[in-house]
Amino acid sequence: MGTREADMIKPPVEVAYGEELEALRMNDTAKKPMNWKMSPQAVKTFILGSDKPVVYNGKTYDIKKKYLGNDTLVERCIVTLAGNRGLMLVGEPGTAKTMLSELLSAAISGSSTNTVQGTAGTTEDMMKYSWNYALLLEKGPVPEALVPAPLYIGMREGIITRFEEITRMPAEMQDSLISILSDKVLTIPELHEDGVVFAKQGFNVIGTANTRDKGVNEMSSALKRRFNFETVFPVREAALEKQIIINEVEKLAAENGIEMSSDEKVAELLASTYHELREGVSSMGHQIDKPGSVMSTAEAVSVYYQSMMSAYYYGDGTISMDCLVQNLVGAVVKENRDDLEKIRGYFNTVVKDKSGKEGGLWKRYYEARRWLK
Amino acid sequence: MEKILRGETLAEVDGALSDVIVDFDMERICKDAFSLDNQVVYFPVRHHSPACAYHLQEVIWEYQPDCILIEGPDGANELISVMTDEETEAPFAVYYSYKDSEGIISKEAEEYRCYYPFLDYSPELVAVRAGVKNNIHTAFIDLPYAEILAASEENRGLRKNEEKNNYNDDYYLSTSVFMKRLVEKSGFRSYDELWEKYFEIDGMFLDSREFIGNMLYYCVLSRLTSRESELLAEGCLAREAYMRQNIAQAKEKFQKILVVTGGFHTYGLLYGQKEHSLHNIKKENQGVYLMSYSMEATDGLNGYVSGMPFPAFYQAVWEGLQNSCENASQVYRDTVLKFLVSTGKSVRKKNGSPSTYDEICAFNMSENLAKLRGKRCIGAYELWDSVLSSYVKGEYTKATDLPMRTLRKVLTGDTIGKLCKNAKVPPLVYDFEENCRKYRLKVGKTVKTELVLNIFASERHRQLSEFLHQVDYMDTGFAVLVRGPRLALRKDRNLIREIWSYKWSTQVISALISASVYGGTLPEAAVSKLRAELKKNISSAKASECLIHMFEMGLCNLLGDAFTRLERIVLEDGDFFSLVKTFSNLIMVDELSGLYRSELDVTGLIRTVYRKLVIELPHMAQMKDKDVPETMEALKTLFTIMEKDAYREDRQMFVDALYALIEKKHINPSLLGCGMGILYGIGCMDADLIGRKCAGFLAGTGEKQLEAAGVFRGLFFAARDLLLVGDDYIRIIDEFIGRVDNEQFMKMLPQFRIAFSYFTPTEIEKIGSAIADMHGIQKQEFNALAYVTPEQYSYGTQLDEYVMGLIKYYG
Repeated sequence: MGTREADMIKPPVEVAYGEELEALRMNDTAKKPMNWKMSPQAVKTFILGSDKPVVYNGKTYDIKKKYLGNDTLVERCIVTLAGNRGLMLVGEPGTAKTMLSELLSAAISGSSTNTVQGTAGTTEDMMKYSWNYALLLEKGPVPEALVPAPLYIGMREGIITRFEEITRMPAEMQDSLISILSDKVLTIPELHEDGVVFAKQGFNVIGTANTRDKGVNEMSSALKRRFNFETVFPVREAALEKQIIINEVEKLAAENGIEMSSDEKVAELLASTYHELREGVSSMGHQIDKPGSVMSTAEAVSVYYQSMMSAYYYGDGTISMDCLVQNLVGAVVKENRDDLEKIRGYFNTVVKDKSGKEGGLWKRYYEARRWLK
Repeated sequence: MEKILRGETLAEVDGALSDVIVDFDMERICKDAFSLDNQVVYFPVRHHSPACAYHLQEVIWEYQPDCILIEGPDGANELISVMTDEETEAPFAVYYSYKDSEGIISKEAEEYRCYYPFLDYSPELVAVRAGVKNNIHTAFIDLPYAEILAASEENRGLRKNEEKNNYNDDYYLSTSVFMKRLVEKSGFRSYDELWEKYFEIDGMFLDSREFIGNMLYYCVLSRLTSRESELLAEGCLAREAYMRQNIAQAKEKFQKILVVTGGFHTYGLLYGQKEHSLHNIKKENQGVYLMSYSMEATDGLNGYVSGMPFPAFYQAVWEGLQNSCENASQVYRDTVLKFLVSTGKSVRKKNGSPSTYDEICAFNMSENLAKLRGKRCIGAYELWDSVLSSYVKGEYTKATDLPMRTLRKVLTGDTIGKLCKNAKVPPLVYDFEENCRKYRLKVGKTVKTELVLNIFASERHRQLSEFLHQVDYMDTGFAVLVRGPRLALRKDRNLIREIWSYKWSTQVISALISASVYGGTLPEAAVSKLRAELKKNISSAKASECLIHMFEMGLCNLLGDAFTRLERIVLEDGDFFSLVKTFSNLIMVDELSGLYRSELDVTGLIRTVYRKLVIELPHMAQMKDKDVPETMEALKTLFTIMEKDAYREDRQMFVDALYALIEKKHINPSLLGCGMGILYGIGCMDADLIGRKCAGFLAGTGEKQLEAAGVFRGLFFAARDLLLVGDDYIRIIDEFIGRVDNEQFMKMLPQFRIAFSYFTPTEIEKIGSAIADMHGIQKQEFNALAYVTPEQYSYGTQLDEYVMGLIKYYG
């Protein structure tokens, strides 16, 4: 029995934006690639938003921008998926690769859950198919005894199969994708003449790979040739990063029933901290030691959301700087204690100067430095 | 374009700017500017645009003007015949120069220059060519270059302090508030992408009237959202007043006048009121020449603010349009395919991997991207995206960006223009050619030739060397010093011959033309360039390097007031390390003046630097380790100089400074050692005292003990004979090494290694023997120590294992 949307911690994109997707589909007049739920133009509108609201069933839908980053990258992704090659999204952790792949799958195929979670323990049967052993013993290798896995489903239904963290999968598992992507055929020898699944139009693969995992299981060049690569870079503008934090936190709060609006100034302060620590230079020109751990926007969202929850459940409804700094330390200082020194250095120079210059929130942020331990 | 300029997008952009745009009647402007019944027709252009050039051709054919007036300083009118000569090939540029000897522009009396580049698809060149071909009166109508300078405020317009100023002013269009908002709103990554979609591509599907209507709309909005004070400061209003005057004069003579200017000016030309009076600047100080130019220099991505990016791409589009203007889509399609294939081919040659299938995928992607973006056909930006997606394999990093680098290169192109034989050249080029004839250097052919010059043995060779150094200093790319003394780098000073490699090319002539603003002869130009260099805020080290160049070029006797300026730079410089470099450079100039036959007397300047350094010395005690070698070298140079008779009177000052330095509480150990060594060398410090100080370090606590090696390093650098005169130092070091634990020793080892690297092999042998004697070991015993190779060691281990096995086996 499925979970009701309201009970889900994180509903899938096609559920969370179900009505919006439906409205876009019904208003879509452009040509669709075979088996796509909507046209490339409508997919682009769904992900990048539109100034024009869409009216459906007497209701008006504002299509908000869901992916704040490189618009041309999204366009390239859509065009790739309509072609003959898979799409591989690579980049630092926390750069919204998974989010983008979910948005694309939900818009194109109506499902973002046909997914293989890549790990060191991923085996071929988790990707292609396995057997219901009770039925297998009773009836032998017959189609009803077969348990389809995401790749099989994607090919049979003509929908997108997502591979998360593909480079964490063993090389031989990765390579089993090569022939499928080339020939678009999956062979099941046990089923004899019924054992050939020809991929239906609309089938494609979106992989995501984390560049910090490079070398864990480097992709073979044969597999690389079957994909178009898109490198997702961290957000380079602090203002955009602030907007992402606000959007994501508000979404999380709504999903979890937290009735508290986001504080734009805190988001700006956090975005500025993450941006400066990642770039190694402050807006005032200080040269900063960059921490070794990942300073992604996703991490900033998590720090904000943690602090927001503390304020909501245990505080007075406003985010305290003490709490923010504690969460910041928890997020940054993971693998290396030296990073704490770097954060401390950041507070003693940049935050100190900003607190003197701007006062207010920055001053309170600086005063909360006692939690840097 | 309709939609974006006159639809909702503009309404949003416009809304924010409503206070700026008043009395805006576009219909009237269009009628006034572009009605073929008018006596004057204004054609607005972007300076490098195939679409503008194409429609301009159409309008010339339709309107049949009897006069074409073009935006450009009117000094270039004399070059029209050269520009349209059959032998002349684009890209080329008009080079304007002005020597402000009268101080009209500023008190500094500086030299100014700027370039006006032309490509085959520049509308202005299309107008010039069409005018000359059809016997139409054709002329440039803008203010002379020097007058534009005089009408501009400091650091504005053509007086901007940039390495290369370009006459074209399309930046008005791309940087206006209106355009920035429009780019933001319409989701393009840059102004150039927007321009390509709405003007280059869509423009080819419109008739000329509609195209010009769109151009006018966009240019007028850009104009109205620019501040008048800005336009005044940049000389823009003065230029428009002058152009209006020229148009008015033409109206008296001609019936049908076509005015081709940057679209930004059309509004000003139609409705401007201001008058402008000229400064009557002397003609002899102004230069106008045509020079060959490169595609690279016209690429907007190389910092040429007015240029469109990807000149080779648009050149191919332009050539395609000339053959098949009816089918612009096909032209763009063919061009994209051509560049995809040529990029793939180039990348494959350099071990890249795009396959034919990658090329097919890329082409499909570019077509589908164009559809998704609502473009009528594929453009340069779809080409860019498709190569990024299909050719780059793996994460996009410096290691994988070869396809993008290659694409960028082919999109820019490497075409270099060519001038006809009649092209006038400035006196500097004559001087260069005259010298080449005098020294029988091969010019006119692009053949690389090598020359070997005995600069100290032959007067003629020395003169030729001076000439080549001068040509090199002017950055012409004509000659390269392959081997020989490189004084500025302090390299190979012992060499007595110079080996030069030289090669003539049209680029050399272009470089000389662009350097002609500095003077009519190479020596004059070189000294002017030096003067300009010294006017910048440079360090004394950099200034002394300039002096060395003058020295190599044999121009020291022409320095005049430039030497005074150099002295001032030295006096104002408070940076110890910069002064150290200056000091070494000046000493070198002084030492080599006989050999290089220079009469420049730098002893006064050396003394000045010397005193400044000595004053600074005691403050240098706590320096970083990385600066130590340089400082020790400086101390040693000071010591050497002080021994010379000319500087003997300053000796006590140096000794006092050294004492002040070594008595500092917190002093870098190497510097302390070096200071003591020099004092010992001068005879102002006793060897025993130094020995006691060293022993104190060796017997000290942890940190101080570690510093001992640094002290020895400095000491042996300055006075290594201390170790050789007796056994005392060897004994204390030996005792110390015997006493110290392994970990401490390993920490000190690097400094000790450096300390002993100052000794010659013979001295090392002597020290080794002394140590051997102390330990009662004979030298032969050291020699007898056999070196065990890894193979021998491995064999020995195996042998051991084998024997042990046997013993075990036999019990």
